[in-house]
Amino acid sequence: MRPLFITWEYPPYKAGGIAAHCEDLATTMADQGHSPVVITFGEKEEKEFRDGVEIHRVPSNNGADNTVSWAMALGDRMEKKAIELNKTHQFDLVHGHDWMSVPGATGIKKTLGLPMVFTVHSTQQGRDGIDSDYQRAIHNLEWLGTYEADQVITVGRDFCGEVQHIYEVPEEKINYIPNGVNLEKFDSHTNNLNKNDYALDWEEIILFVGRMYPQKGPGHLIEAMPHILDQKPEAKFVMCGSGATEHYKGLAKKQVGDKVHFPGYVSDNELLSLMKSAEMTVAPSVYEPFGIVPLEAAACETATVGSYTGGMKDTIVHEYTGLHTYPADSNSITHQVTRALNDPSWADWLGDNARERVEDNFRWEQICAWTTGIYNKAVDQR
Amino acid sequence: MKILILTRKFVDGDDVSEYVKKLAETLVEEGHEASVLAFDDGGYYSVDERVEVERVPLHYEGDSLYSWSMMLNNEMKEKAREYLEEEDFDIIHANDWVTVPGATAIKKHFERPFVLTVHSTENERGFNDPNSEVISEMEWKGCYNADRIFVNSQSTYDSVVHDLDVPEGKLELLNPLSDEWTESVLKNYENLLNLREIDV
Repeated sequence: MRPLFITWEYPPYKAGGIAAHCEDLATTMADQGHSPVVITFGEKEEKEFRDGVEIHRVPSNNGADNTVSWAMALGDRMEKKAIELNKTHQFDLVHGHDWMSVPGATGIKKTLGLPMVFTVHSTQQGRDGIDSDYQRAIHNLEWLGTYEADQVITVGRDFCGEVQHIYEVPEEKINYIPNGVNLEKFDSHTNNLNKNDYALDWEEIILFVGRMYPQKGPGHLIEAMPHILDQKPEAKFVMCGSGATEHYKGLAKKQVGDKVHFPGYVSDNELLSLMKSAEMTVAPSVYEPFGIVPLEAAACETATVGSYTGGMKDTIVHEYTGLHTYPADSNSITHQVTRALNDPSWADWLGDNARERVEDNFRWEQICAWTTGIYNKAVDQR
Repeated sequence: MKILILTRKFVDGDDVSEYVKKLAETLVEEGHEASVLAFDDGGYYSVDERVEVERVPLHYEGDSLYSWSMMLNNEMKEKAREYLEEEDFDIIHANDWVTVPGATAIKKHFERPFVLTVHSTENERGFNDPNSEVISEMEWKGCYNADRIFVNSQSTYDSVVHDLDVPEGKLELLNPLSDEWTESVLKNYENLLNLREIDV
């Protein structure tokens, strides 16, 4: 099949999790004999052929007054590119990812007369609500995406119900397919961490990876830090991710001083080394449709202490592949992190189980086969 | 010949609607076919019954005229594709930037000549919309992609030339109130279709 991916981010450009998701999905599809084409954002028009995937980049217009308008301008250019490519490519369907893709993907669907598949990675309601006109405009685009799509894919089991409920998606066109991890990427990577860049020799790294926004819950972890340190002075918190970094850095430094480190930008390579070296990762998210961090940590044989919410209900098995905490509860975080630190060999065992479970349940080969099955459904419906 | 005319509004008391009405009625009067594609605002506008009027609903309220228009154009693309598959048309005629994205997509995908009437430019309107820059770019794109551009006044003519870099060769000032208007419009359409014949 030749699906056309519409996504605003695709590696090496990435801000959230959609970029990695699209790359892994497209690459695996190419491995399985399909011919995916990606149209995505770029500072200038570019074409690239990488790992069996044809990637086209088009710019947007920075004169747009907000991200909604920006996405509209980007969609217009994406569609123009799609029309041009369609003259030689004959796409089977268009596959949009999250609200930013909706203007472009629906335009392409309507002009070219293609089936449309829409993956919802998160919702505006879950991210920061639908109170302003701007937030409503995003929410409505999400709704429109589910309305226009012949098939809708959601990335979490709970989340699937949430999406179905919020947007009133008919039962027969909504699907749950989890995210996956590309184990090869983790296995071929060599851990070359210079631990002293982050911690002293006797300290144990407790890693947070995620954008520094309330949704990801860094504040709850910061609140737990002094209590964890009371019991386990060897803990050293490393907080990776962009966002409101300065705000959280200020808070954390005030609480625990040198026992927390904000390294700023960390390369992919370095991040994997950190994940492999860390005693555990902590994912204190308040809202998390899927949450890739527990699976990435698992690929590194590192257990995750994560909130019992959304996708993490599925990606972490309590006391088997990691530990669950109550969402937005720093006492619960303190308790579970301390438990794991108290028994390092148990923590190792959790990490080993996590890896095994990922190998069995979250492989892209499987996810890709499910996805193309949904493509077939969308095409057959026409 | 059959002309598909795109307009945001097709209602009473609106300049662009009056223009579209006159254009469509002139066409059917001269023995041609005209279809008007407009937003379905629940309104009704009386027009010669030989003119086909199709209204497209939009289930989207954006946070700006710009984002709303972009999504409306997606609906127009679908409708235009249906027209093409069912009864075909020869030329697509858009009015102002609000219908440029749809007309451009249809022109490029189905390879039909594209005429654009610019009733006014964002520069003339004062450039005071939060999205003026993207709107003006859309006007530029429309003029760039159009095969012929009509304007109704000298001031718009000047703005299109100076602000949107349009070569005067594809631009024409046609006063809708003048006696020669009908003839000029038809001549433009015919020339485009003749050119297309030669192309093919």
